[in-house]
Amino acid sequence: MELAYHAADRRTVLRYLGAAGWTPDEATTSLLDEAEALLRRAATPRGIWRVLPLQALDLSGAGSDLARHLQGSEGLVLMAVTLGSGADALIRRLELSDIALGAAVDAIASAAMDGLCDDVEAAARAWAQSQGMWLTGRFSPGYGDCPLTLQHDLCLALDTVRGLGLAVTPQHFLTPRKSVTAILGTADHPVTGTRAGCNHCLLRETCAYRKRGMTCDD
Amino acid sequence: MTIEEIFARRRFVFLDGGLGTQLQKRGLQPGQKPELAAFLMPDTLEAIHREYAAAGADILYANTFGANEQKLAGTGYTAEQTIAASIACARRAADPYGALVALDIGPLGELLAPTGTLSFEDACARFAAIVQAGVKAGADLIVIETMTDLYELKAAVLAAKENSTLPVLASMSFESRGRTFTGCTVESFGITAAGLGVDAVGINCSLGPAEILPFAKRLCRVVPAGMPVFVKPNAGLPNPDGSYDMDAEEFAREMGEYLSTGISTVGGCCGTTPDYIRALRSAFEGAVPAQKIPLRRSRLCTPVRCVEVEGITVVGERINPTGKKRLQQALREGDSGYACAQAVAQAEAGAQVLDVNAGLPGIDEAATLEMLVRELQAVTDLPLQLDSNDPTALERALRIYNGKPIVNSVNGEEKSLRAILPLCKKYGAAVVGLCLDENGIPKTAEGRFEVARKIVAATDAAGIPREDVYIDCLTLTVSAEQDSAAETLKAMGMCKRELGVRTVLGVSNISFGLPCRGYMNTTFLTLAMQAGLDLAIINPNTPEMMAAVRAFRVLTGQDERCADYVQAYADQQIQTVQTAKTAAAETTVSGAEDPLADAVRRGLKKEARAAAEQALLTREPLDLVNQSLIPALDTVGDGFEKGTLFLPQLLQAATAAQAAFDVIKTAIAQSGQKSVSRGKIVLATVKGDIHDIGKNIVRVVLENYGYEVTDLGRDVDPMRVVQAAKETGAPLVGLSALMTTTVPSMQTTIEELRKAGLPCKVMVGGAVLTPSFAEQIGADFYAKDAKASADYAKQLFESL
Repeated sequence: MELAYHAADRRTVLRYLGAAGWTPDEATTSLLDEAEALLRRAATPRGIWRVLPLQALDLSGAGSDLARHLQGSEGLVLMAVTLGSGADALIRRLELSDIALGAAVDAIASAAMDGLCDDVEAAARAWAQSQGMWLTGRFSPGYGDCPLTLQHDLCLALDTVRGLGLAVTPQHFLTPRKSVTAILGTADHPVTGTRAGCNHCLLRETCAYRKRGMTCDD
Repeated sequence: MTIEEIFARRRFVFLDGGLGTQLQKRGLQPGQKPELAAFLMPDTLEAIHREYAAAGADILYANTFGANEQKLAGTGYTAEQTIAASIACARRAADPYGALVALDIGPLGELLAPTGTLSFEDACARFAAIVQAGVKAGADLIVIETMTDLYELKAAVLAAKENSTLPVLASMSFESRGRTFTGCTVESFGITAAGLGVDAVGINCSLGPAEILPFAKRLCRVVPAGMPVFVKPNAGLPNPDGSYDMDAEEFAREMGEYLSTGISTVGGCCGTTPDYIRALRSAFEGAVPAQKIPLRRSRLCTPVRCVEVEGITVVGERINPTGKKRLQQALREGDSGYACAQAVAQAEAGAQVLDVNAGLPGIDEAATLEMLVRELQAVTDLPLQLDSNDPTALERALRIYNGKPIVNSVNGEEKSLRAILPLCKKYGAAVVGLCLDENGIPKTAEGRFEVARKIVAATDAAGIPREDVYIDCLTLTVSAEQDSAAETLKAMGMCKRELGVRTVLGVSNISFGLPCRGYMNTTFLTLAMQAGLDLAIINPNTPEMMAAVRAFRVLTGQDERCADYVQAYADQQIQTVQTAKTAAAETTVSGAEDPLADAVRRGLKKEARAAAEQALLTREPLDLVNQSLIPALDTVGDGFEKGTLFLPQLLQAATAAQAAFDVIKTAIAQSGQKSVSRGKIVLATVKGDIHDIGKNIVRVVLENYGYEVTDLGRDVDPMRVVQAAKETGAPLVGLSALMTTTVPSMQTTIEELRKAGLPCKVMVGGAVLTPSFAEQIGADFYAKDAKASADYAKQLFESL
């Protein structure tokens, strides 16, 4: 499905730019405005979601955090969103001609993903409600002890190449780069899921946020 | 049904319907791979094929859509086994009905560079293996379908043509905006696929019959009259659960709209069943495909942009090292960044096509041209003019070019025509023909016309249509041969009138050796446009040249209601060349003691450039770097370190410094002085990693401090880093990796550098690294940010 582009949350953008909590000066504000306008023109936000049985995804090597998240769930909703390859191309071009603008677009694009995920999740929730079902929150490969390698099976089960032009590299990156996948559990009774905390995270020792005494949820 | 009948277009040809959706409906479980149906459920697969043949499909797509080694890894079956079994299964169903069996090739499931990491040649090799297996299994034809990336389609077509003699049908999937996911237009697909010599083009999947209809009509307009066009739509648009609502009758009814469009082959994709094909067959029975009426136009393209050469079209000439010292220096260092920046600047100035030339004594032209094409098409969407007369260089560039380019050039010599025209034909390129031959440049218009006639006879014989031939009647220097300008213009008129070809001129040569060359160039350009010039190879950054082009478009009715002209000039006042410079300098009224340092500290790009231009009038370039730029950057860097300034401000200062540096470097290159270099550094984002921004920030900061950076880009093989470190003798190598999954590549790269016995130090950076992790993988220094890397470089180079 085609998604509307949402303006990114500026506080999140500044956090991604290593300036959390800063009130930007005039020059930076106009830099971010320009970056947002460029990205809005270049991005082609797309989303996809599917309702699948639990066995559609082999979760045997997917770690304990995802298993805990899906506890009590009877089925899956898989989803993926992307800003499209035009956003990647824009960032590549700007990195050559204006690195400040390039970094701004990069951060805005990352921050804009949240809104896109919310939209797709809302569509899935509306469907679940109409079926008298409940959904857990979103859980993405890379959270907690869930390995990025799960991206391959997830994208195959969703047929993301055909559905929104999204593929996984051999190093388990999503391409186009500004893309997100997520897993939600479905049940006929209320479920919430459990997001993994830092204690379980694979990146615990190396996380850039933890180095600064923060978490990626701040 | 025979292959010949398919392409005769005497009656409609019918393709089959959905296969994947049928397999799911008949028992394929979620998690099971549809590619393995020939082993998991052979009877069901054969039954589906048989039902399609019985319903009237002339061509059955074998179940080989995703049958490649990567997708089948771990299943216990090879691609070759799977393709053989799948084709045999379709064959059993097809034979009783006389239907043909196609090897079906879908996307590989990985994206090609630059969006992904798969290289073009690796993609070609993967497709070649599939094609070879399909040929061995006895396929009657090859279908390449559901492609969304033109580059991947090209790799598949080349693999099909180079590894078989089977007919090739190619189709892409478009979204409702008329572009694929990667932004490819219907026109770019049509002209590129037709140029590569496929036998039929089509549109499949993603949309229903009604949505595809306008795109199918557009496709019919851009491919040659004799080329069949086919559609294979879905049963309407899918529901969220993957089901389809449109029934067979409605599908056939909507397909009825296609009867008069010129398409000659129809079928169905996702959600369609044998019933749909039966309904389609009865709706189309007895009908004869309508005549297609293509619009014969001169077109060049990239995936996202199709340029129709109707009226004067500007080709940017700046990416040519002849007489350009900075570009020469960059190409010698294997650095594409400068050329890429030139491309972006020319596009912004109004160029519609970019000439690319890598002819420089002492460098490997073929490798350099290929590298330039690869890097340029990652950052610009303008079509390229591949400028070389070396067939090896041209072939390497043509092969990896994404779209339809123009080759510059052949001339009237047999040797040139014989070597280069077949390449243009194979890769579907347009071509420039220079009016000269073994006897040199004829003096008269008639003489040049004769050479043009000879060239056109050769392009005709090679099968290159006249609309893809651009004759260059050659601009000679008017100060040396004053009569020749008139001859050039006269010959142009003759070629256009009598040969029906396009014309092209490199305009600036007219004024060589004269003062105020712009006056002469503009006037000659105007005369040439009036004489019917189609492609003007000029410097689009020269305001008066672009003004002449825009004014001409208004005066000849091409720029309706003067819209483009007004848009370009509404806010401008005419300035002469001399006053423009003064005006630029005047924007620097900051009142600061050192306006350059001030502009950099405040992150003002335009002001920094203007300040540098003005300062160069009175100060030495090196003095600017040492007394203004670097102290300003140090101030900003200190603020960043102390936490009083933030990354966006550091980056804006870096961008401003870069703009100033650009002016300074040009001044140095022009003066013939040695470049500013505090030492050489090699940078790379390691193999497998495509997150490049951190490394690019480091590059800009290091360059601003005067280091000579060889930037190898992203996803860089360890051995390329070793090679660059060896060639440059750089005492410092910087490596970047963003993800835990690519840190092992970083370690390998460091090991290879050590193994090669290179004395260089290695600094590393990236989100997941820490000082201890860096030490563990053998790095000399962990740089937590760009500032730290500059500090380390300073310390290292001062100690050498």
